[in-house]
Amino acid sequence: MRLHRDADGSASLLVPEGIVALNETAAAALALADGTRDDDDIAVALAERFDDPEGTLASDVRALLDDLAECGFLTR
Amino acid sequence: MTGPNGVTDPSGMTGPRGTAGNTTGIAPPRSLLCELTYRCNLQCPYCFNPLKLKLDSPELTRDEWLATIDQAVDLGVVQIGFSGGEPTLRPGDLVAMTKRATERGAYTNLITQGTFLDDALLGALLDAGLAHVQISIQAPERELSATIAGTDVFEKKVETLRRVATRDVALTLNCVLHRLNHDSLPAVLAFAEREGIRRLELANVQFYGWAYKNRGALMPTREQVEHGAALVAETSARLRGKMDITYVLPDYFEELPKPCMHGWGQLALTVTPDGRVLPCPAATSITTLKFPDVRTSTVRDAWYASDAFNAFRGTSWMPEPCRSCDRREIDFGGCRCQAFLLTGDATATDPACARSDQHEIVVAYRDREADDAWVPRRLDPALL
Repeated sequence: MRLHRDADGSASLLVPEGIVALNETAAAALALADGTRDDDDIAVALAERFDDPEGTLASDVRALLDDLAECGFLTR
Repeated sequence: MTGPNGVTDPSGMTGPRGTAGNTTGIAPPRSLLCELTYRCNLQCPYCFNPLKLKLDSPELTRDEWLATIDQAVDLGVVQIGFSGGEPTLRPGDLVAMTKRATERGAYTNLITQGTFLDDALLGALLDAGLAHVQISIQAPERELSATIAGTDVFEKKVETLRRVATRDVALTLNCVLHRLNHDSLPAVLAFAEREGIRRLELANVQFYGWAYKNRGALMPTREQVEHGAALVAETSARLRGKMDITYVLPDYFEELPKPCMHGWGQLALTVTPDGRVLPCPAATSITTLKFPDVRTSTVRDAWYASDAFNAFRGTSWMPEPCRSCDRREIDFGGCRCQAFLLTGDATATDPACARSDQHEIVVAYRDREADDAWVPRRLDPALL
């Protein structure tokens, strides 16, 4: 899979024969998923950049990465 | 992939729908399918290529293809597929096109039956940036495969599949399902599991081109379809996280039509071997439309300004019951090509829809006695 930025800055994930539109948080999380960080590292790094008023950031990150791993787009 | 995880659209082939930079209100294309040639060494009776395989004008040259890719990317295309016929029959051009598409930032997909993908070509394609290979099999064993493909290539395909699996490229195994091979579905699943396949696409045949001509022999039985769906669901659950399985239902057996191409002229375009620009690979079956050509039109004009691409955009072209249907922007009235093939009217409600007053056409075909004979896909002088 590949993270893609359109000319207007919007982010998407390019996967086999598919395009998945991403919001900014998801794009930021995936940009950090480079093989050197685990889920918690990514959540910590994101918490420095995004507000997390409901305290769900870590579990959201985990759910996103779980979904992508299940589809075979990334390995953990 | 739904829910609050930041994935805003789970449907796969979608993307940001902005119309910034143009005043047409029409969103830009996101995917391009390049059909390099209709030539193929296989003779599968379910091929969706047109019956008339002989081209009216020569195949596009490499330079014409590269210019087409450039224009498509300039418009917003980020997914590019290479298909046919068999695209590896033009190996040098395929490598050059993959390289150009990659350099322009697109994700590249090779859709092949795998019989010509030797190590040299595979290496050149990977060097050019190829991201994904989809290899098809006709059946999970040699004899049935040869019956369907008209040639004995199963062992060759397995060899290619194993070689690709060792390389750093996404791999999908594809098997088109129909009456002749549907009972082999358990063996297809076992084959895929044994080979360590991560992505498996099981697509029930869609009836266009040769498949439409041969649908009497290819139409699965209801038992096959229902048994298949249950078996795939069970296997998907068991192999969760190991193998991702897509099972595409045949729309003749569903009550609602497929949201074909996510709408006519909404996301995708196809360019045929001789340069016609289509909203979907089967669109030439609609003989009442004249499609633009990259030799006489820009891709931009084809997408935004051609009559063919604008014919079924939006909802104003729809007749009843589509026009007032609560699903009109979910399935877009179904498939235009199927509507034309079955009713002779491309604006008709897709007869696959139970709300169509011509749904009986689909029901009658689905329930009728199967034909034993089919016509192998090959150049047939009678069809020229």
